[in-house]
Amino acid sequence: MSILYILIPLALLVLGAAVWAFFWAVGSGQFDDLDTPAMRIVLDDDTKPADDP
Amino acid sequence: MNDVQACFHCALPVIDQRYTVDISGAAEAVCCPGCKAVAELIRDSGMSRYYSLRDAPEPGVGKPEESAGEWEIFNRDDMLAAFAGVNGRRAEATVYVGGMYCTACSWLIETSLGSVAGVSDADVNPVTHRLRLAFDKTQTGLGDILAMLAKLGYHPQPLAPESTAAPELLEQRTALKRLLVASLGMMQVMMFAVALYAGEFKGISADMERFLRLVSFFVTTPVVFYSARPFFAGAVRGVRSKHPGMDLPVAIAIGGAYAASVWSTFYDGPAVWFDSVTMFVFFLTVGRFLEMRARHRSIDRSVALSSILPNTVLRLDGDTESTVPANQLIAGDMVRIRAGEPVPADGRLVEGTTSVDEALLTGESRPLRKTAGDSLLAGSVNLDRQILLEVGSTGVDTTLGTISRLSERARYTRPAFVRVADRVASYIVVAILVVATLVAVGWGIAAPERAFEITLSVLVVTCPCALALATPAAFAAAGSRLSLLRLLVTNGDAVEAISRATHVVFDKTGTLTRGQPRIAETRRLSERYETDSLLEIAAAIESASTHPLARAFQAVAAKLPASDVEAAIGQGVSGTVNGKRWYLGRAGFAAAGPHAEAEDDDRISVYMGDGEKLHAVFLLDDEPRDDAERTVARLRAMGLGISLMSGDRKPAVARIAARLGIDRYAAECSPQNKLEQLATLQDAGEVVVMVGDGINDAPVLSGADASIAPAHSALLAQTNADVIMLGEQLAPVVTAVEIARRTLTIVRQNLAWAILYNVTALPLAVAGLVPPWLAAIGMSFSSLIVVLNALRLSRMGATDRVAAA
Repeated sequence: MSILYILIPLALLVLGAAVWAFFWAVGSGQFDDLDTPAMRIVLDDDTKPADDP
Repeated sequence: MNDVQACFHCALPVIDQRYTVDISGAAEAVCCPGCKAVAELIRDSGMSRYYSLRDAPEPGVGKPEESAGEWEIFNRDDMLAAFAGVNGRRAEATVYVGGMYCTACSWLIETSLGSVAGVSDADVNPVTHRLRLAFDKTQTGLGDILAMLAKLGYHPQPLAPESTAAPELLEQRTALKRLLVASLGMMQVMMFAVALYAGEFKGISADMERFLRLVSFFVTTPVVFYSARPFFAGAVRGVRSKHPGMDLPVAIAIGGAYAASVWSTFYDGPAVWFDSVTMFVFFLTVGRFLEMRARHRSIDRSVALSSILPNTVLRLDGDTESTVPANQLIAGDMVRIRAGEPVPADGRLVEGTTSVDEALLTGESRPLRKTAGDSLLAGSVNLDRQILLEVGSTGVDTTLGTISRLSERARYTRPAFVRVADRVASYIVVAILVVATLVAVGWGIAAPERAFEITLSVLVVTCPCALALATPAAFAAAGSRLSLLRLLVTNGDAVEAISRATHVVFDKTGTLTRGQPRIAETRRLSERYETDSLLEIAAAIESASTHPLARAFQAVAAKLPASDVEAAIGQGVSGTVNGKRWYLGRAGFAAAGPHAEAEDDDRISVYMGDGEKLHAVFLLDDEPRDDAERTVARLRAMGLGISLMSGDRKPAVARIAARLGIDRYAAECSPQNKLEQLATLQDAGEVVVMVGDGINDAPVLSGADASIAPAHSALLAQTNADVIMLGEQLAPVVTAVEIARRTLTIVRQNLAWAILYNVTALPLAVAGLVPPWLAAIGMSFSSLIVVLNALRLSRMGATDRVAAA
């Protein structure tokens, strides 16, 4: 069981990294729009207009 | 209900069958050349899927405006400087996109702008309706981009750079971070808590127990000090202002449990409550987050005020005319206002005679005649002809600005509203903690070896999650149900306020009525022509006119061709049909000779004659909506008092009131009057729901306990309303009250269940009869029941929609 003394702090480090990454993502505006991305995955399959590069 | 086809693009009824558009191989009927052009543009850009993905459109939303050259001037450098940040060749601007109503719209805008050469970034936020643009100003102009948006049927409005900071975006970011910290923290602490519970059964070393507590402490600390900070801040604010709200017990519960757990962690106390703390914070944060999202759906204030006014004006400097941004006007400027344009500032009419539409500002349903020397109000619309205005006051100093300030003040004086459910929940949390501490101390003296296990059971069995969930779950379910029924809730408290309403106040113009004149009666004044043929001729002539009264004749299909249609300013319109000259308008204009203008009642009379003799008079009237009478009757049957407050003239108000069976009505009310009457009602103990659409209703909308505004209403009214009602009908008001009442019933059931469960389980746990594992099952079970009960709301009301359709 003594392995827990290492594994749990390690898990907390990973948790801290995840929180940091999320804060960074929020700060850079990736979560500003919570509605459109859900739609976009459906929409991108559409036929592209002819003049679209 | 009727077999009139709805326009494929904008969903307005198709009156003229001439226009069709070919989408995916099928010919779809559209109502006008404008919609045809938009639909073809969308099809030709390969974006026909927009039509299958969008939500059902609001009738009229998306119909393009008929202004063509207006956007050109935004290509000029001085206009660009006023509305965009320029850095070398790169320009950045923010545009408010009016007429967006679903996420498919933001896709359409982003995709079509993405294919414009020079546009490097086009980002639409469907919540705030703002488009962030970055483009190369040598390749394309702001005006071209705005024109493109207008061509797609939206109503773009460039925002001045200082009003582009979006506080709601920052608020959402912070709320998201708080939510994430709380949810991750809760999951982690719950895992450690499971280990600690398991240790109770199978034995755990004292070192490991201390270690797990310490780890829980580390994870809980940011949850308490970061995620729960708004609750502490709210509690402090409440104590300082001597009006402690529901944040105080919440803060005591969180702070107390946390402090006790910290003490236990470092001094080997009987138990830690870190799991309860994080869970409580998490559920509260989720509730607040959902509420915030709903609140952000309402349109923001700065846009609301400026969207009524024009972007640009024609200013006269000596003999030269120049187009300048409207926000650069100062008192004393001379401004030319063409027919159909809104008045940009309060001021005096210097030159010209015209009539103006002040319906949104005052509720007056008739156009008002203005001659030189009369004062004009910012936000009213110049109807007849070009005029010259001397600017008196601008911006916040105008009548429009005053109304906006009045409504902000009214919001602060709104009756204090504390959710019963939340208050009950937070007091119970405090009670649980007190009981748990007493149990720990009591058993610690009586039987120290069992004290830990029993305290644990007490805490788990009475876990506040069912209580914390009881209200947010029900309100979230109600919110999603209401939005499916075309009612957007922008204020979380509104649902409960509506459920307790005792009185509904309606506005007249535009709310109970359509806000547009219709032909109420046709009187023949000679025997020579049939009524129908007179109507057809009138419709033919009026269909070529742009005067707002001409819209009344749209209901009659114009089958005959009219030629040489001429508008005589302030008099009427004339035209030739079948070789005969006809005159429509004032009596003296329609036929020579003296006539008594029989404006016997409040209706507008339009005379028709051939220049020599009067043949008919059309009485135009602002008719009540189809379902107004039924809605009023149904609300009354639900036990609600009904009254009518209007800024319109007394006869018009009295007639509508009589027709709909409303005996309490007030006419010629100023926004201030309306507020005073509202206060009288509220002082008498009534819980008032206001339904209104005008700018003059905005103060009452924010002062009422809850307020509903139709989606077509003035933006200022919408920002002050708690619920926005989509569609052309009034029936959603009834639906809102029904669903709100059911929601409160569900909340009460949930609370009753949670309290009953706690009250029965608590003595058993205190007596030491409930082992921790059974307590855990009981806790989960009670939460599940609460959530499932709330979800019943999502299925309710489906029958209402069928009935309303």
